[in-house]
Amino acid sequence: MDRNKIGKWLKSPGKMAQKYSLHALYFCTGCGIIEIPPTITARWDAERFGVIPVATPRQANLFLITGYVSLKTLKYIIRSYEQMPEPKFTVGFGSCPINGGMYWDSYNTIKHLDKYIPIDGWIAGCMPRPEAVFVAVTHLWTLIDKGKADGYKKYREDYELYRENQESVLGKLEWPPLFSKEKQHEASV
Amino acid sequence: MDTMVNTILEIIAIILLALLIGLFFLGLSRKITARMHWRYGPPITQPVIDIIKYFNQTSTSHGYLFSFGLILSLSGCIVLLLFLPFGHWCPLSSSGGLLVVLYLMLVSPLGLALSGGEAANPNASIGISRKFLLAMGYEIPLLLIVVGVMSYYDTISIVEIVDKQLQTGCSFQHLPLLLSGLAYVLILPAITGMRPFEMIQAPQEIASGPMAEYSGKFLAFTTIQHALNLFIGISLFTNLFLGGASNPGYFFLKTLVVLIVMLIVNAVFPRFRVEQAIRYLWKWSSALALIGLIIVAIT
Repeated sequence: MDRNKIGKWLKSPGKMAQKYSLHALYFCTGCGIIEIPPTITARWDAERFGVIPVATPRQANLFLITGYVSLKTLKYIIRSYEQMPEPKFTVGFGSCPINGGMYWDSYNTIKHLDKYIPIDGWIAGCMPRPEAVFVAVTHLWTLIDKGKADGYKKYREDYELYRENQESVLGKLEWPPLFSKEKQHEASV
Repeated sequence: MDTMVNTILEIIAIILLALLIGLFFLGLSRKITARMHWRYGPPITQPVIDIIKYFNQTSTSHGYLFSFGLILSLSGCIVLLLFLPFGHWCPLSSSGGLLVVLYLMLVSPLGLALSGGEAANPNASIGISRKFLLAMGYEIPLLLIVVGVMSYYDTISIVEIVDKQLQTGCSFQHLPLLLSGLAYVLILPAITGMRPFEMIQAPQEIASGPMAEYSGKFLAFTTIQHALNLFIGISLFTNLFLGGASNPGYFFLKTLVVLIVMLIVNAVFPRFRVEQAIRYLWKWSSALALIGLIIVAIT
């Protein structure tokens, strides 16, 4: 451990622990997932930064969406995102979740993922190399340090807007709203 | 009065030390496994960082039994710690011996099963059924081994067993127990839930099994329980076959050596399927333990 980090650890242990223990949930949509196995195994070894893959959304706090998002998968992305414990961070991987990428005129993929769930950062490229994942992780560290990785707070505050967007493409959602109006009020106060 | 205070201090020290050592073992196991895979690996403090993070997260409870089962499992582990000699510390040595340990070893899987079952996740149910099958697999050889050890040293108290081994030191007098010791080595990964008996969690196939629905502080407690469980499995082996130790520091070194030997197996071997594991446990380790018991009975 760096000696100059000790002060930060004593000041806000929760924040520092969230930085250095990012448990990642990889949503295997499309081709982006092929870059993840070299990232987490012996070649690039993401575990030295505390990034390890977990199997369920309940244990995760980093959500990587790797590749295009079709309407069918969007539903499960939303459900997984809502199951993750707060604070949670989301990163869109590849150009497809950013603006549709090569699927921009497809009839059943969505163009902008951040309309439906809040995204804290993007990794551009088609495909991004595994190094780009580490660049994203270090950027996420600075964002967490400055308190700017607050997508989960935005989701709580603007939940009605997000829900409206989700229902506009998916039709009526079969699960009840995650936040009731009173809870939103508490969050904004 | 003075002994009372001493006992209470010993209890507190054992629980804290076991927790620290268990977490250190978890960190070390991740590091050594990584180095054996030619990776750099996480810092050795990574489990502590994880636990701090878990406590700073929101967590979802799935009912009263979900929380209660976890408390039961954790307290089962902590009570079990007090019956195992840690060096020369053994606060509850006068109130039971190996028989109590055998009973208490089932409390912690039972608690985790209660808690995981309450979450009503199909993956958790599969994980729990695997956990009990595995427990059924290793309880039979464990019982045979423990009966062998108890009848050889003519006592049910672990403290006396450790004392007798310490008096004679390393000598051929303990040779009849060799096969029982080997059988214990074979079931040790199953007791601590390491590879090749890792099918309880198996993140790749059943989404970390009983832990599938844990989040936040519940996950922190399961990590602590896992750390304690790892320490308990190794420390029982050290006490029964490696002669315990005369002081806690020496005891820690002995457990560390056993852990590193287990990690070498853990880093290299793949997972058994459930029925393969049961067959292995009932065939090889039970056979070894039974022969060991017969040898003990003859001599």
